[in-house]
Amino acid sequence: MTAFSPRRLAALVVAVGTVLLTGVVTAAPAGAADPVDYRQTKTLTREHVATDGTTTTVDSREVTVQVDRTQSLRGRERIHVSWSGARPSAGRSADPYGFNGMNQEYPVVILQCRGVDDASAPEAEQVRPETCWTSTYLQRYAAGVVSAGVWRHDRYASDEDRADQETLPGWPAECGLLPGSVFAQHLLPFEAASGTVYPSCSNTTIAPESAIDAALPPADIAAFTNLDGTGDVQFEMRTSTENESLGCSSEVPCTLVVIPIMGLSCLDADPACLQTGDFAPGSSNLSDVGVDDAVSPRFWWSESNWRNRFSVPLDFALPPDACDVLDSRAPVGMYGSELLNQASLQWAPAYCLRADRFKFQHNRMPESSALRLLGTGDAVAAFVSDAARSSTVDLAYAPTAVTGFGVAFVADLPDNAGELTQLRMTPRLLAKLLTQSYPATNDVRAHEGLENNPLALNTDPEFLELNPGLSTVAAEAKATILSLSEASDVMTAVTGYLAADPEAMAFLGGEPDPWGMRVNPSYQDIDVPREDWPMLDTYVRESTRECEQLIRSPYLGLVAAPVNSLRKISEAVLDAWPNVQTQCTRSTTTDPWKFGRIARQNYGVRFMLGLVSLGDAERYGLRTAELRTAGTGPGATFVAPSVATMSTAVAQATQTAPGKPFTFDRTSLDPTGYPGTMVVSTAARVSGLDAADAGHVAQFIRTATTEGQISGPGNGQLPDGFVPIASTGPTAALYAAAQQAASTIEAQKGPAVAPPTTPATVPLGAATGSLAVRPPAPRSGGVPVGGTPQTVDGLPAPASADVEAAGPSGTTVAQESGAGGTAVKATLGLALAGVLGAPLLRSLATRRRAS
Amino acid sequence: MSVVEANPFAPPEPGRVLPPPERRVRAPRRPPRPVPPRLPRPTMPEAASVAYTAMLLVAALAGWALLQLFVLGGLSQTRAQQVLHAELRQQLAAETAPTGGSITPGDPVALLVIPTLGVRQVVVEGTASGDLTAGPGHRRDTALPGQAGVSLVYGRSAAYGAPFRSVALLRAGDGLQVTTGQGEFVYRVDGVRRAGDPLPAALDAGAARITLVTSEGDGPLASITPVRTVYVDAMLVGEAATGPGGRPAGVPDAEKALAADRSVLPQLALCLQGLLLAVAATAVALRRLPGRAVWPVAAGIVVALAWASTDAAAQLLPNLL
Repeated sequence: MTAFSPRRLAALVVAVGTVLLTGVVTAAPAGAADPVDYRQTKTLTREHVATDGTTTTVDSREVTVQVDRTQSLRGRERIHVSWSGARPSAGRSADPYGFNGMNQEYPVVILQCRGVDDASAPEAEQVRPETCWTSTYLQRYAAGVVSAGVWRHDRYASDEDRADQETLPGWPAECGLLPGSVFAQHLLPFEAASGTVYPSCSNTTIAPESAIDAALPPADIAAFTNLDGTGDVQFEMRTSTENESLGCSSEVPCTLVVIPIMGLSCLDADPACLQTGDFAPGSSNLSDVGVDDAVSPRFWWSESNWRNRFSVPLDFALPPDACDVLDSRAPVGMYGSELLNQASLQWAPAYCLRADRFKFQHNRMPESSALRLLGTGDAVAAFVSDAARSSTVDLAYAPTAVTGFGVAFVADLPDNAGELTQLRMTPRLLAKLLTQSYPATNDVRAHEGLENNPLALNTDPEFLELNPGLSTVAAEAKATILSLSEASDVMTAVTGYLAADPEAMAFLGGEPDPWGMRVNPSYQDIDVPREDWPMLDTYVRESTRECEQLIRSPYLGLVAAPVNSLRKISEAVLDAWPNVQTQCTRSTTTDPWKFGRIARQNYGVRFMLGLVSLGDAERYGLRTAELRTAGTGPGATFVAPSVATMSTAVAQATQTAPGKPFTFDRTSLDPTGYPGTMVVSTAARVSGLDAADAGHVAQFIRTATTEGQISGPGNGQLPDGFVPIASTGPTAALYAAAQQAASTIEAQKGPAVAPPTTPATVPLGAATGSLAVRPPAPRSGGVPVGGTPQTVDGLPAPASADVEAAGPSGTTVAQESGAGGTAVKATLGLALAGVLGAPLLRSLATRRRAS
Repeated sequence: MSVVEANPFAPPEPGRVLPPPERRVRAPRRPPRPVPPRLPRPTMPEAASVAYTAMLLVAALAGWALLQLFVLGGLSQTRAQQVLHAELRQQLAAETAPTGGSITPGDPVALLVIPTLGVRQVVVEGTASGDLTAGPGHRRDTALPGQAGVSLVYGRSAAYGAPFRSVALLRAGDGLQVTTGQGEFVYRVDGVRRAGDPLPAALDAGAARITLVTSEGDGPLASITPVRTVYVDAMLVGEAATGPGGRPAGVPDAEKALAADRSVLPQLALCLQGLLLAVAATAVALRRLPGRAVWPVAAGIVVALAWASTDAAAQLLPNLL
């Protein structure tokens, strides 16, 4: 451009002065109620420069931003960002995420960016607007008639940013040229972690992760500030696993950029730039009409806004596959409960990164299957909550974690009033949801027994009494709770919670609730507690839809559509994407119809429930419902999961015998204890386990119950959603039992006889399928002298004679059954008696008559 | 020296004239010989008559049961073996014979040949009484024949063809040949094991043993009234195969040695009902129609139902019978 004009010089001086005056960062006062990792206060101003060089301060705010967690973050984890002192927002849109949040005034833009905000760092590692992730290119690219190009009047922007960009060298060929006299354009390319630069001016020049139908919904948000200047939001983290172009990881530092939009500070008296908004503070903009550009989040990258940023440094945890990458040893597989997933994710690096420990691997599977693998010798340890129903081997159970299940919910209040933060559930409401007793649509009222039931949970008077203020528009997703299709101890606990409640049991038994709602007859008198929840309803809806006429599928089963892991449920709730499978889809008009998942719920009308683990709920920042523990009606007690309520509950867990798991008698729990609390134990054989494996299991139990119980986000620490097990306090009994079980497992001198020195593991698990060759089951006195153990599992001891048993000292025991011989002899006798007796009888009878 | 063959096409020698065909003349029918009037059969008192009929009926039923178990059952087993053999051959050729995983009970898994006894049987999966009516059965929670580990093969010793009637006569060193989807395997018999005999030595890693299990009895009717199990152990010669895994970890009680399969009771009840109905219908029909019209129709139905009933009832007997 030209040389400095006096006006520009004046502007520069003012700018420098303003920076010096307002850019003062005050240190965060310590000692806030909630633990926060980041807290900062800044004074933000909007100051215009008039043509005569004088400045007018339009607005000045002292804004404080705090973030609860910034360390060891994981993919899709949600952190809590809150602020105060910001300018109240206006024109609130129903969906604040991604491009949908652009038509708001004075929001707080929160973005995840690669790089650090440190002037001393090399330029490539600095955070810049070019390294900030936006889910659409429209949040980066600006084009409009020259008069509307507000960014061209930003007093803090560089000349280059204010210029007619398409005339500058380096304008990408992919981006079109508009007549410069009429239209102005501004590019903000995205620089990917790989170094690729995406011009981001059209659908074809963007990073792959920002496509419109991307797998994950947008995380970048233009959040709303309330009338009192406060606001808060759960912001979802994306690591390089979810977003490779952004590329945040434990090695690539990233920054959370929080920009409270104050409005552009203008260089001149451009009317578009001087705008202060069309909407009243606190109002909604549900019809998504355009807002004043100068105060919209669309120009977050313009220097006036960018300089107001709060930069929160983010630290990411090792990726979930770190152990596979960093440790080449063979893993020691432990199988079972999904409740432990978040803990084992944090624990694993504490084992695999140390040479003196083993490579710990937790494979999720139904607890009963894991116990069976213990029996066959395919697993060394299993994570379970309930004792094995039947086991051919003796097991010891070491309490390893205290966590539980929760009913996660996402629900929006009507009239754009934000999210519901507290939900109350009773066992009977859970029973209604699980038994598919809500018809979901009016067509299903033809289903016998459901004629007079409310359509969905949110039209049920029992629910409305507990949770007033929600929308009462019924929908399929509101008639169900997303639950597990697989057998799991979690389902045992959930159904045990129902079984312990007289109201829920009366409902399941067929009694109507006080409002006349009845259980779905398909589920009446179902046995609870039970390990899995079956799909019993077979009602096929009469529908005019072609696909439903062609595919005769039970409708309520499609609505419930349980999934096979708790993680999938958590992610469904996180995305507010119900798993209701009633959408008719086909790829082309000639393809056959199939049922698919319905669309994600729109912000503002979300309502979804899911059964989740408390560890997942904490990681994904899901809200969990308060569950009723005692009382009925208005005087009932509802308890939310927390360390305190779970500690109260776990103090009541009991063991039937030493070495057995801790379980709950759910009918007599303390009303202040969280009823979803569960204890996860590590189960392993007490005899016949390879010495090395036994040592690994014992080491795992000891480590997990000591250093693994220190709460924190780091490697080897205990994540949120778990109650630490300590040697004192309510978990003392668990701690003692775990240490004892570790010793029993390490010694391998349980009731069963084990060879004194275990030879190298016989790889027969692989050789013959699940039939591993095992140490001998206890048989009449025989201890094999050395040699390879060789009893086939799964056989009761007396029958093992015909299989294989110990070495020289064992003897064959024949099975005996006289039934066959007796039956054959008796039949033979009858046949002979008949054949011989009949003629005899005849001759006798006739002779007597003749004489 | 040459031999002159008579020319079959040569014209007939002169002088040889064929005699004219003789007309068969039927001998004049003799007048029927007068039959002496049969003496009226002395009638029995009613009670004795009922008892007599009942005894005959019981004898017929018991006789039928024995016939079926030991004679007709053998026929049906032979037929089943033919079908299984064809199926296994086809699977071996197509390389689809099972090598592991979950195999449907009743499917063929191996061909067992014992040359010294002349036994050649297709082994089926499963050891429930019903599976063993078709042939020897492989116990489902053990390694498949040919694979490392211990395989148990159960076989009947008396009924349904008695495929394992004489396996207890095997001597140490006799050979067993097993063909599965994984190849041919040769086993050498270690010996016959009865109650009190020492158990065989421990298996080394990767070794394989097959144990044939059947039953035997004692006394004059030993061959048809077995009471206890007898085992024949044979070690694999050569290298064992490995399987893909996924095998069941246990079997129901009905598949253990000398166990009966009570799950057949409903089927038995239905068969007996059918039999009763068929008999009743026959009896009614006999009153209205001549016997020569009724029996050709009824006999087939009654025999078929009696057959099915006996087959079902036989499953309530020990599976190694």
